[in-house]
Amino acid sequence: MKLTRRQLAAVVSATALAPAQTTAPVDETQAARDRLKANSDALAQHDLPPATEPAFRFKA
Amino acid sequence: MATIPNDVFFATVIELNKRLTAKEFKAEDLARAFAERLAQLGPRYNALALPLVQEARRKGKAVDHDLKIDRLRGPLQGVPYGAKDLLAYAGLPTTWGAKPYAGQVFNYNATVIDKLDTVGAVLTGKLAMVELAGGGGYRYASASLTGPGLNPWDRTRWSGGSSSGSAAAVAAGLVTFALGSETSGSIVTPASYCGVTGLRPTYGLVSRHGAMALSWTLDKIGPFAHTAEDCGQVLQAIAGSDSQDPGSAGTSFYNVPYARPLKELKVGYAAVDFAGRAQESARAPFQAALAAIQETGVTLVETRLPSFPYGPILSTVLAAEQASNFEQLITSGQVDQLADAVQIAGLKASLELPARDYLKAMRLRRLIQEEFRRLFTEVDALLAPGRPGPATKIDAPLDRGGFQPPAGTPPGLQGIIQAGNLAGLPALVLPCGFADNLPVAFQLVGAPFSENLLLAIGREFQAHTDWHKKHPPET
Repeated sequence: MKLTRRQLAAVVSATALAPAQTTAPVDETQAARDRLKANSDALAQHDLPPATEPAFRFKA
Repeated sequence: MATIPNDVFFATVIELNKRLTAKEFKAEDLARAFAERLAQLGPRYNALALPLVQEARRKGKAVDHDLKIDRLRGPLQGVPYGAKDLLAYAGLPTTWGAKPYAGQVFNYNATVIDKLDTVGAVLTGKLAMVELAGGGGYRYASASLTGPGLNPWDRTRWSGGSSSGSAAAVAAGLVTFALGSETSGSIVTPASYCGVTGLRPTYGLVSRHGAMALSWTLDKIGPFAHTAEDCGQVLQAIAGSDSQDPGSAGTSFYNVPYARPLKELKVGYAAVDFAGRAQESARAPFQAALAAIQETGVTLVETRLPSFPYGPILSTVLAAEQASNFEQLITSGQVDQLADAVQIAGLKASLELPARDYLKAMRLRRLIQEEFRRLFTEVDALLAPGRPGPATKIDAPLDRGGFQPPAGTPPGLQGIIQAGNLAGLPALVLPCGFADNLPVAFQLVGAPFSENLLLAIGREFQAHTDWHKKHPPET
């Protein structure tokens, strides 16, 4: 198909004026960091006696 | 080559072993029939990671020789099984369900594979799984090297994760039993969704040597099978001390009848878990199952879980330990080859977890263990739905919460999967009905090393019900 200069200019300007078809970028790593922070905040709400040692032994 | 009757594919371990020792058919023919069936039908459910047809035939032949000279090795002798592809099998790829490890080959077997070999079980294939057992979290069922695990009851539904192929293969009659693993829900969820019996053993009862390490303090290996009795037989074969697993409890398991009468047992539950906290379509089958479990003689008593933020504690422990295990994968950039964006992000972020959070979580975990010890002086076991409803749709986003009960609904035993894993407790999953033409199941959770108690209730429940005998049509 042959376009005249006027038609070509109309196409180019229409393209330039069209709103950008972008989706909001999702920063999954930041979302993962936020989940870790939320977990940290949940843990911080629990005070522990100083003598509470970590559960590194699992014998019944 | 003899023809193998079609009814073997959903037979139990005990039934198959009886027929083998009665010389109804040869172990080699049985091995070939199962291995070819798995190779042919496994891909239909994205359940197969690696077919082992020739290896299975060779093992079957060796079993026939043993049977001929009356060298009997117990009920698993000659029985075909599959193993989750996070268990090392010497000389052939062990992919951990993940592209960066697609070419990984070990020169030794996982301890559980060797133990099953010793008792004469026949490995017919490696089974598909969620990549790296899903430790980083994942949004879609497609987070796997082999594609989304498709549920044999309805291939538009998920088979559950991360032991997707193990549960699907048992449900579809492609293996008689399968090995899977659980860090937090990876046996309970696929067993529930696929309608098979699953057993998460006590932490330390089964060696993890040769298994992918996701979380040293949470990982467990356990069986999927058609019945509680079969799970007990498999557990007896794979349990026991192993100096190569630092987490080994040094304890064996014997699949013997439970000493106490079931009518003496108190089982804690929360009625709301089977009503308002369950999906609407699952409530009627759950109510029927509650009635059925009381026919075993146990007494149900309302109870509640100790109050802890189980989800955040488990996620913190898992993030810290997986960060250490997969540090090289993450820092090298190979992590970007994984299939699921959430999984990639979760692994990357986990490297930044502060040590103080890990230690706080592990200190809280100590209190959880103590509180469960106290709870199990009041009840002998806990009962809750395996999942609140049937399998999710295959394209559903898994990290967006799923079914949520109405605001204000009491918590019931919410968090029992995370709590049970943090405290290292065993769980037995029993199919208990159908909702929307899909299986639903409940879980029995017990004190550490109480597998015989759970299995006793499970056997009796399955003697009163036939949900575990249902199997999906071949579509």
